[in-house]
Amino acid sequence: MIQVVVKRDGRVVGYNEEKIKAAIRKAMLTTDLGEDEALIHKIADRIGARGTERMTVEEIQDMVELELMNSPRKEVAKRYIAYRDQRSIARKAKTRDMFHEIIEAKNNDITRENANMNTDSPAGMMMKFASETTKPFVDDYLLSAEAREAVRHNYIHIHDKDYYPTKSLTCVQHPLDNILSYGFIAGHGESRPAKRIETASIIACISLETAQNEMHGGQAIPAFDFYLAPFVRSSFIEEIETLEQLTGKDLGHLKNVELKDYTKKELDGLEGEERLLQHAINHTVSRVHQAMEAFIHNMNTIHSRGGNQVVFSSINYGTDTSAEGRCIIRELLNSTYEGVGNGATAIFPIQIWKKKRGVSYLPEDPNYDLYRLACKVTARRFFPNFVNLDATFNQHEKWRADDPKRYLYEVATMGCRTRVFENRFGEKTSVGRGNLSFTTINLVRLAIECMPIQDREERLALFFRKLDNVLEIAARQLNDRFNFQKTALVKQFPLLMSKLWNGGDKLKPEETIEPVINQGTLGIGFIGLAECLIALTGKHHGESEDSQALGLKIVGHMRSRVNDFCEQYQHNFSVLATPAEGLSGKFTAKDRKSFGILPGITDKIYYTNSNHVPVYYHCSPRHKAEVEAPYHPLTGGGHIFYVEIDGDATHNPDAISAIVDLMDEHNIGYGSVNHNRNRCMECGYEDASADLHECPVCHSKAIDKLQRITGYLVGTTDRWNNAKLAELNDRIVHE
Amino acid sequence: MSDTLRVMRVVEGTSVDGPGLRTSIYLAGCNHRCPGCHNPSTWPFDAGEPMTVDEIMEKVLYNRFNVTLTGGDPLYHAEALLSLAKRIREAGLGIWIYTGFTLEELQEKNDEATVNLLALTDVLVDGPFIEKLKDPTLIFRGSSNQRLIDLRASEAQGKIIEYNII
Repeated sequence: MIQVVVKRDGRVVGYNEEKIKAAIRKAMLTTDLGEDEALIHKIADRIGARGTERMTVEEIQDMVELELMNSPRKEVAKRYIAYRDQRSIARKAKTRDMFHEIIEAKNNDITRENANMNTDSPAGMMMKFASETTKPFVDDYLLSAEAREAVRHNYIHIHDKDYYPTKSLTCVQHPLDNILSYGFIAGHGESRPAKRIETASIIACISLETAQNEMHGGQAIPAFDFYLAPFVRSSFIEEIETLEQLTGKDLGHLKNVELKDYTKKELDGLEGEERLLQHAINHTVSRVHQAMEAFIHNMNTIHSRGGNQVVFSSINYGTDTSAEGRCIIRELLNSTYEGVGNGATAIFPIQIWKKKRGVSYLPEDPNYDLYRLACKVTARRFFPNFVNLDATFNQHEKWRADDPKRYLYEVATMGCRTRVFENRFGEKTSVGRGNLSFTTINLVRLAIECMPIQDREERLALFFRKLDNVLEIAARQLNDRFNFQKTALVKQFPLLMSKLWNGGDKLKPEETIEPVINQGTLGIGFIGLAECLIALTGKHHGESEDSQALGLKIVGHMRSRVNDFCEQYQHNFSVLATPAEGLSGKFTAKDRKSFGILPGITDKIYYTNSNHVPVYYHCSPRHKAEVEAPYHPLTGGGHIFYVEIDGDATHNPDAISAIVDLMDEHNIGYGSVNHNRNRCMECGYEDASADLHECPVCHSKAIDKLQRITGYLVGTTDRWNNAKLAELNDRIVHE
Repeated sequence: MSDTLRVMRVVEGTSVDGPGLRTSIYLAGCNHRCPGCHNPSTWPFDAGEPMTVDEIMEKVLYNRFNVTLTGGDPLYHAEALLSLAKRIREAGLGIWIYTGFTLEELQEKNDEATVNLLALTDVLVDGPFIEKLKDPTLIFRGSSNQRLIDLRASEAQGKIIEYNII
């Protein structure tokens, strides 16, 4: 006897005979003979009695079909079957429409969710099909009812939901020394330890490339200079050995000669050993330069994830003060300045300058010259960004200037802003760790729901109650996902677990990753603080001190609740100032449907990122720094400070360093400068005008306008979604 | 009313009026009337809004950027600008001035306020804008006749020394 029915979405409900009766009746009414109540009763009774205790909808419908076929009313059976088919097609129609959108390579918000992905390519389409059909599976079978409801009602967004079933983790900071010194196996190739700079740079690419396919987020190198520096020396030694062969002299004593800097010089006037030494240096510098150029070129051309995306790669550097480390930094910056191919700006890797007093910032610092070069490069090429190692929350008590592995205690960031540093289960470090998953809260919706309450105190009290509720749902959902992820087997992420993730090398391939997954972080993000504050107080935090105080109270509250969750669930939870590419429009569109167009809140088609002052708001860089800085210590999961500058930054690299000074003065963790950069694709002419449509030199209309979207550079805005395009058009310079 | 200036706009944190980020103070009033001037609305001496030195200094001190005095032509108001320039100097900030006069013309004036103002100034961008000498690749100036004069270095060396960009 049937007791319960399993519905198509997996939910289990009590058996209801009336549903069967209604369906048969409906089919009968479409025939000439009409309904036969007695037969309906008879069939329903037989199915109810003969069925097993627990049956699926489809199984019951199969039984109805059989009973009708065996009855005198075969024409009803036909109608019933036809009806079932139609329903089935209708259920699939949504998928069909979505498939058509992808097949026709239409530009819309499905295909442009991610500006770095080419969904027009076959591999890209294949991935989009998979992604779009996986999401409903996750909703139906992997999410808890409360999480599913919270998503449906637009309170939260679960990032990388399409990857949920794969158990993949988000991102990792590569301990590249592991790979360079011991070699590794990827795909069908085994790689020996690197011996020279060319190989080391290629292996760095392969490491990023391979791990990208084992994860759903970005890949970063936390100390690019420190890791590659030894190979500058080994390449130099190779050059000395070549000279030994050429001259027949024993130059062994030069191999470990102390060099202040690897600087290219003319050989004119140099004699004997001095000449040989300078020759070796010149060749080494050229090789390093070439290797850095190759690295950048590879990171922009080699596709991963089925061949439709280049790696979301980032590299951190700036604090290695050895001659070899400085050579890496200088040549990396030089080749970045020159550009790739015919001089175009490299989109990847995102480069991040580690700014540290005493090392890489002040005029008396050993790497000050390279810091100045970095400012000049970013004025033309948007990178490097700047991570502030002096910010109170980015410091590490174990850092020592004479420790060769001091980079382990230097915070490194994912270019997009994801920050992993604090650790409840081991050393505080960025290296060998990453984020596990993110879920973002729609602060705006919570605030809109409180708007009808006239009394301010009551309104705010209700807001905080709602916020608490959603925070708890988000924490439980992240904990659920964690518990699902930890069941992944080590062999599912072969390179990540054997060489990159903290502690992974101690596990066997068939074991689960449970013993080491707690090295990762769970991020609770937020979006639209500005619109949230407008809804609650009438003003955003850039224009009112009162709103700023409330904004800090809200994010401070999130931070303190997240600390509670760390205790309660025993995970590394953190608050993320969410970068929101696909998300910025989705939340708004849905909220607009529910609440209509509310001035200052839903009247644009995007919400402002995280804690940022709205892009349309006129304010000076100083004011922006002052308003946004206090959110940085609260958002350990990552944050970024942007300034849009007027004018041509290449004419004024001091403007870039002035912004780094703002970061230094205001305790800002991570920041970067946006400005206009146009490039004629025909003749290479470059300028910084706001609206260049035609090259003033060769009159070509092929102008590449570089823009930054959630931390990544995009040369063409064709792949931007509508919400992000709207945001771009609203951006104003800060002056 | 030497304490009050007519100001078109105070731009807080611009990158186009000298090196680094700067606070630029656009003063009303100019008689040069250069053809092709991109800001003729600043010509009338009664344009803009009155601002006291205190009000201007509040913005300067908040931003803590070096200052550019421009307009209009600030050198029509040397007397009135003197107290502002002193306050900027006292705050440890540098000063650039844009003027349509040449340095030589200013020196010939032999006006005490002008001399004192220039003594507080780091760089003078001098000379009228000449449309046929316009060159958009020039840095921090409009036409090639204009000079970025490093006043301190010029004084020390007794000849005109141009400011070295980058």
